[in-house]
Amino acid sequence: MQQIPWEVMLILLPLAGAMACFLWPRRTLLFGLISALGVGGCVAGLGWRLLEQGAQRYAVGGWGAPLGIDLYADGLSLLMLIITALVGLGVSIYSIGYFERRQAILFWPLWLLLWSALNALFLSADIFNLYVTLELLGLAAVALVALAGGANALTAAMRYLLVNMLASLCYLLGVALLYHNFGSVDIAILAQRVEASPAVWAAMGLMSAGLLLKSALFPLHFWLPPAHASAPAPVSALLSALVVKASFYILLRLWLEIFPQTGAAPGQLLGVLGAAAVLWGGIQALRQTRLKLLIAYSTVAQLGYLFLAFPLGSSFAWKGSLYLLLSHALAKAAMFMAAGNILRFCGHDRIADLDRVAQRLPVTMIAFSVAGVSIVGLPPSGGFIGKWMLLEAALRAGQWWWVIPLILGGLLAAAYIFKVIGYAFTQAGVLRQTNKVPMSMEWAALALALAALLLGLVALWPLSLMEIGLPFGGSEVDAIQRAEQS
Amino acid sequence: MNEITSALLLLTPLLPVVLAFPPLRSRISHPCYIALLPAIVLLLVPSVVPIELPWLLLGSGLGVDGASRWLLAMSVVIWTAAATLLPKPGNHAADNRFTVFFLLTMAGNLGAIVATDMVGFFSFSALMGYGFYGLLVSGGDKTARRAGRIYISFMIAADLLLFEVLLIAASTTSEMAFESVRLAVSGSASPGLYVSLVLAGFALKAGVWPFHSWLPLAFRSARPAVALLVGGVPIAMGLLGMVRWLPLGEITLPGMGLIIRILGAAAIIYAIVAGVKRSQLKLLPAYTAMIATGFFSIALGAGLADPAVWNQYGNIPYFFIVSLGFGMVIVVAAICWLQTDHHAPAAIVKQEDDPSLWIERCAGAVVRWGGKLGCETLPRLRSAWLAKAGSLLQVCAWRKAVDAAEYSLQRWILAITLFLLLGLVTVFLAAM
Amino acid sequence: MNWDAGLPLLIVATSLFSGLMIFFLSEKHVVARTTLNLGGAVFKLVLVGVMIWGVFHGHHYEARLPLLPGLDLLLRADAESMLFVVLSSGLWLVTTIYAIGYLEGSPHRSRFFGFFSLCVTATVGVALAGNLITFVLFYELLTLSTYPLIVHRETEVARRAGRTYLIYTITGGALLLVGTVWLYSMTGTLEFAHRGFVAGLLDTHRVSLIVVFVLLVAGLGVKAALVPLHGWLPQAMVAPAPVSALLHAVAVVKAGAFGIVRVVDDVYGVEATTKLGVSGPLAALAAVTIIYGSLRALFQDDLKRRLAFSTVSQVSYIVLGIAIIGPIATTGGLVHLVHQGVMKITLFFCAGNLAETLGIHKVSEMNGVGRRMPWTMAAFTIGALGMIGVPPLAGFVTKWYLGVGALDAGQEWVVYILAGSSLLNAGYFLPVLYAVWFKPAPDSWPDERSFGRFETSWALLAPPVVTALLTLAVGLLASAPFSPLQWARFITTLEYMP
Repeated sequence: MQQIPWEVMLILLPLAGAMACFLWPRRTLLFGLISALGVGGCVAGLGWRLLEQGAQRYAVGGWGAPLGIDLYADGLSLLMLIITALVGLGVSIYSIGYFERRQAILFWPLWLLLWSALNALFLSADIFNLYVTLELLGLAAVALVALAGGANALTAAMRYLLVNMLASLCYLLGVALLYHNFGSVDIAILAQRVEASPAVWAAMGLMSAGLLLKSALFPLHFWLPPAHASAPAPVSALLSALVVKASFYILLRLWLEIFPQTGAAPGQLLGVLGAAAVLWGGIQALRQTRLKLLIAYSTVAQLGYLFLAFPLGSSFAWKGSLYLLLSHALAKAAMFMAAGNILRFCGHDRIADLDRVAQRLPVTMIAFSVAGVSIVGLPPSGGFIGKWMLLEAALRAGQWWWVIPLILGGLLAAAYIFKVIGYAFTQAGVLRQTNKVPMSMEWAALALALAALLLGLVALWPLSLMEIGLPFGGSEVDAIQRAEQS
Repeated sequence: MNEITSALLLLTPLLPVVLAFPPLRSRISHPCYIALLPAIVLLLVPSVVPIELPWLLLGSGLGVDGASRWLLAMSVVIWTAAATLLPKPGNHAADNRFTVFFLLTMAGNLGAIVATDMVGFFSFSALMGYGFYGLLVSGGDKTARRAGRIYISFMIAADLLLFEVLLIAASTTSEMAFESVRLAVSGSASPGLYVSLVLAGFALKAGVWPFHSWLPLAFRSARPAVALLVGGVPIAMGLLGMVRWLPLGEITLPGMGLIIRILGAAAIIYAIVAGVKRSQLKLLPAYTAMIATGFFSIALGAGLADPAVWNQYGNIPYFFIVSLGFGMVIVVAAICWLQTDHHAPAAIVKQEDDPSLWIERCAGAVVRWGGKLGCETLPRLRSAWLAKAGSLLQVCAWRKAVDAAEYSLQRWILAITLFLLLGLVTVFLAAM
Repeated sequence: MNWDAGLPLLIVATSLFSGLMIFFLSEKHVVARTTLNLGGAVFKLVLVGVMIWGVFHGHHYEARLPLLPGLDLLLRADAESMLFVVLSSGLWLVTTIYAIGYLEGSPHRSRFFGFFSLCVTATVGVALAGNLITFVLFYELLTLSTYPLIVHRETEVARRAGRTYLIYTITGGALLLVGTVWLYSMTGTLEFAHRGFVAGLLDTHRVSLIVVFVLLVAGLGVKAALVPLHGWLPQAMVAPAPVSALLHAVAVVKAGAFGIVRVVDDVYGVEATTKLGVSGPLAALAAVTIIYGSLRALFQDDLKRRLAFSTVSQVSYIVLGIAIIGPIATTGGLVHLVHQGVMKITLFFCAGNLAETLGIHKVSEMNGVGRRMPWTMAAFTIGALGMIGVPPLAGFVTKWYLGVGALDAGQEWVVYILAGSSLLNAGYFLPVLYAVWFKPAPDSWPDERSFGRFETSWALLAPPVVTALLTLAVGLLASAPFSPLQWARFITTLEYMP
């Protein structure tokens, strides 16, 4: 029996949805929701198959690797797809209530395009396709940022566009270098052929720098806070939860497959930058007086955590980092949505004037707090599991100093999250006019936040998914067993 | 029969406690007399089997033996006498409260007499002490309150010392009954600490010289009913505690015996001199009591120095305590009678305050210094630290630095430079 | 799922369920909310009763949920956890009744009772935790669920107090987490065991073990309010009285103290603790806390603040008892877990009654209040005398065991600490009692409310009276079977006997 090509459908379905939305603007909502649900179904189908058959390589149109386009799905890409689908569904539901008709017509096609690019990125098996999808993703994201209108948003979008261009260019240069030297862009083939040489180093430097710029790692985070803070709430959620993760995903792939033999020093560098990002982002978040900027800086800090796995390099650390990525995606999306609700409700997002939002907008505030628990890394939440794994990996590797940014980052996160919650419980002087917030917006935020919380209780399940295709090398248990046998 | 006596033993301290609750005695006409009933019946029963109460506190026992029967009789008489002097039960809140303390003190006193182990005795005498404090203070004037304050300070100090005694006893033996503790302590390596702690503790409780400061104050100002009780309750129980807790007749401590005898003699001389000097009729019982306790100390010292002497006289100390109690009652009653009928010249009432006593000066100093330490020095130290830490945090320079750094990071030129630098560094590191 | 695994889960879930349900009730549903509250509390108490019966008859209650590979969430009923579970679920019922009376007619009650129930859920979870990771999980949950209770009043002062509370507790939680992970990376297990599970590492990882011990105790010491980590406790007094009562007597400080008990007894084990040489400094720290707390309490005019400093001092008795390594002192420390809870909750109830009925918040306003509220003040008197250690109340039994245990372990200095603490306790409680009973009452009270038949509403009056009677009972009947003391002795036997 012919297998259903879930991978292709994952890319084509949102693309088709985007086209349909564009062509029939009156029916955007319908098409959008159908595509969203369809993508969800496709991810489930792909996951089912991967569970049964292990990692999958799919040649589009039947052409093989050196010539045609290959799609590759293993545990890592599956989890990214799942998280994209979850956040995507949440954002889709949220945006029903959020956008007016005029904006919705623009939002839906762009968002579905973005989704399609994300899916394609996570399934790509060669570095050139990664470039194409990355570019596509960037363009869609820039357009979405500009959706808010106004001078601030346009400036931020412009800056975002330039950053994207620059980063993509760097990446493309690296790709060209690698292709010139080894005659292939396929990751698997490159992984076999690549050997230490100046060209590889240069390629690595260029590609990493480009991707770091896109991932907004400190000190290259300058574009992120304005872009994320000035975008409409669902877009902010998408950008923080998914888009920055895409470039991190590419870096992770490259690091795991192509550049594993480059030595420990670059890893340590990334770790140091990650630690600096955690602290700097935390401090900056604490200094903010606007809720959305605070959350944006929190993203800068949280992205720093992900890079702490690079110096450790053990499969346990990678898994911890990925776990943090997943829970951050859910929690941060929920947080931006909650911020959007508060913004809609109060008409502003000044933290000091929140004025008993906890009582007047309870569902949103619960969503914010629950997401905050995960961001801080308090148990029981996905953030806690990820942090625990990173801590354990650091201590097992004997590199105890990485514990310090992990803990300090948690404390800073607690400080800025509870600053918001504290003001949300406090009565402010002046009573202001408030607007109604649609139910769907509140509950979508809560659902995502609860999912982040749930991630802390069902950790075994995502961890077992990570084993599909062994993207992080042999598991810890295997290594121990092997050591015992020898 | 045994069950009845056991019940009586339990009821002896329990009934006064129960009746102390105002709602429980509101329908009874003479609660103070009724509370004494079990003790009176107990006195009439020829032989009382002691009972063990392993579930009570840390395992207690109650019983009445030959000596404590006399003590119980004394107490019953004193309490009955005091009860007659109580104002008629009215609705007046202060009287009501007085009755509460009266009954609680009674419970403590009777319980201490029938207790057969140290923890029980300690607990009951604590109840008695706090109750007696209430008696002294409630409805009393300024002097009475002052007496109460000194009394309770002494009592807390005494309780602390006696608590140490209990701990020492508990670490030498697991049984806390008087007999077994006495045996264990006399067999232990250094009974000196134990003996001196017991003596000091009960001397504080009984108002033995030099811990007598509250006695004159109490007699001067207390109501007749309370004055009547002073001899039979705190003083007698303090002396009883010494006899019960000390391993007398078992150990020989000549040095300590000598000291105690000297102290006793000094107490007598002091009491005579002070009594003559003050020459107030109302204060007479106070000095009488001090002289009596002085004599008791001399006897105790003799007993400690030579156990044979103590053993020779057997139950004499108990009778001494009993007669002391009775004697005090008679003295106080006589003085009351004399004063009320104006047979005697009314005491020259000195309204001006007595010079503050050493104990009060000490307490005052402690409070002052403690206040300085607790209220000023420590918080000030802490706030100084906090201020330092705060100034580190608060200094605007930090904030400015952070903001300026972030601002410059947001500039394109710096961003591009950093970006290129990062690429170069990565290449360089990878090449290493 | 079989019954033996289900029961611990069910005990944790009862209050969780009622808490979550209450969140969804509107303010107007007083009857439904009260039913849920009391129903949950009573049901939990019944379940705990069943569990005690089962533990006594040799049942082994254990529920495992996998959390990470090789690391489970483990809820287990052992002797120590039963002590704490009984305390928290019993006092929860009392406090719930009190809170219902206290908050009658005030806003945001659904929110309050929801978090209140969550708080108890966390406490019971802390009690039943069978390994360190589960403990950490519920410990953090406790932090989170108490925060909304502290800021319940929605004032700026409350917000600041909440902030202080979080600064302390979150930092403590982080230290605890680091210690836990570090320990796990060394031992590969976190499951509590009698006499600990680190014995094998004593020779190879000595320094690491000491550092981990310091981290764990520092993390737990924040909640147990060990000096100098006690700063949050007096500030948290802005919360409503039932919350203070719960924080001080049952939930937060006890979770910290209980954690230290767990670390010393079941993680390190008494032998390893002695060999590492960490018990001495811990005992010294506890002693300093005892004296310092009492000194500060002596000069507080705000009644609740005075009680708060008293808590700082009293909770360290537990730590002291554990840190004097020895069976008798450990018994004293464990039993104080219950005794302090019962006594302190009485005092806070009474303070709440004064504030609610007469508007009295300061010690200097309490003159003659015994005449106006005799029952409340009688309960207060019993609690205060118990704190001083007057026999035969609960505090006496504790001090007795601590003292005998210290002499038994050859640490005479502890006796002086006890004596000094008793003296200071007397110093800050007796003047209050004197003022209450013997000083003349003022003409009018600051803010008097009338409640008809009783001196205050029955829901406010019954809880302190009940807990005062308990204070008397656990002291007087200390040697009776099933008393807290006997249970503590039973635990100590398990820990110290081969």
